[in-house]
Amino acid sequence: MSDEHEPLAGDLLVILRHAPHGSSWLREGLDVALVAAAFGTEVSLLFMGEGVTALVEDQTAGALGQKGTAPTLEMLEMYDIETLWVEAEALSRFGLDADELMLAPRALEAGAIAEAVRKHPRVLTF
Amino acid sequence: MRYAILLMGSPYSDQASHSALRFARALLARGHRLEAVFFYHDGVYNAARLSAPPQDEPHLADGWVALHEEQGVALQVCIAAALRRGLMDEREAARHGKAGHSVEAPFELTGVGQLVDLSQRCDRLVTFGP
Amino acid sequence: MKLHIVNRSPASYRVHEQALAAMGPEDRLLLIEDGVQGGLPQLVRHFEAIPGRLYALREDLEARGLLGRCDASVQVVDVDGFVQLTEEAEHTLSWY
Repeated sequence: MSDEHEPLAGDLLVILRHAPHGSSWLREGLDVALVAAAFGTEVSLLFMGEGVTALVEDQTAGALGQKGTAPTLEMLEMYDIETLWVEAEALSRFGLDADELMLAPRALEAGAIAEAVRKHPRVLTF
Repeated sequence: MRYAILLMGSPYSDQASHSALRFARALLARGHRLEAVFFYHDGVYNAARLSAPPQDEPHLADGWVALHEEQGVALQVCIAAALRRGLMDEREAARHGKAGHSVEAPFELTGVGQLVDLSQRCDRLVTFGP
Repeated sequence: MKLHIVNRSPASYRVHEQALAAMGPEDRLLLIEDGVQGGLPQLVRHFEAIPGRLYALREDLEARGLLGRCDASVQVVDVDGFVQLTEEAEHTLSWY
């Protein structure tokens, strides 16, 4: 059905738009994705805006040793969450390349983002 | 149609809770069913038992309780988000050795799995964020 | 068709850009809360990519004294109309 340029759609798309450490949004959004996957939902993740910085390598614990989200992201494969997208425009805004990020996400241009959203029966934004 | 609401804004700090309660009333008035409100992120503060807004302001917690009493709307509070923020029912308070409790029925502490379940079985899930 | 709900002002946030990037050709966008500022003539240009598909919530415009200042290109709906928009959409996405 889908060729290489067409995003493969799962049941639930979780859009993550916040950076790690600065707020709990990223962690709480990921929690929903992990629980949904554990329930057998096919989950796709899209990192938009500041959310793309969640995938920067070499993150550490935060103030007071507060756990970051990088260890959780490393577990995504165990939960069979394999569709990982990043917003191409946000990458260029931050001067990042998709191939230097952890988990090898695929960059989506604006048109492909709308297409990914259209194809998922359920979308949650965090 | 069967609706669910995901509420993530803190009461009185953000308009989200007011917007969500207003939307809940409007969807019921149009003959829909509201299965549940799921409180997540700072939205869990809506369940605070000791909330005491000035009398000339809307009482949000009472508003949610009224929805439950009149329409059987489930009031589901994410337990992980709640415990971190000092919101717990009697059972959790006992488990954590706390002298008082800050959440009571009809608000129920539950897991994120309930949100996933709502998103699957409801026709519409509408999110109100801060 | 999906309904996108934006509650942040385009004067201070880029949230509306995320909503616009995620919108398909049939999708609609509803401005609520501080988002209704986007209906002002000076700010409505941010939404020029979606002619005829921009809505704003009457109650939130009224509360802010902005109802009379809302651009004519914006379709104003009350909260009953908000529910109706969610009925007509197969799904809603909130951008906050």
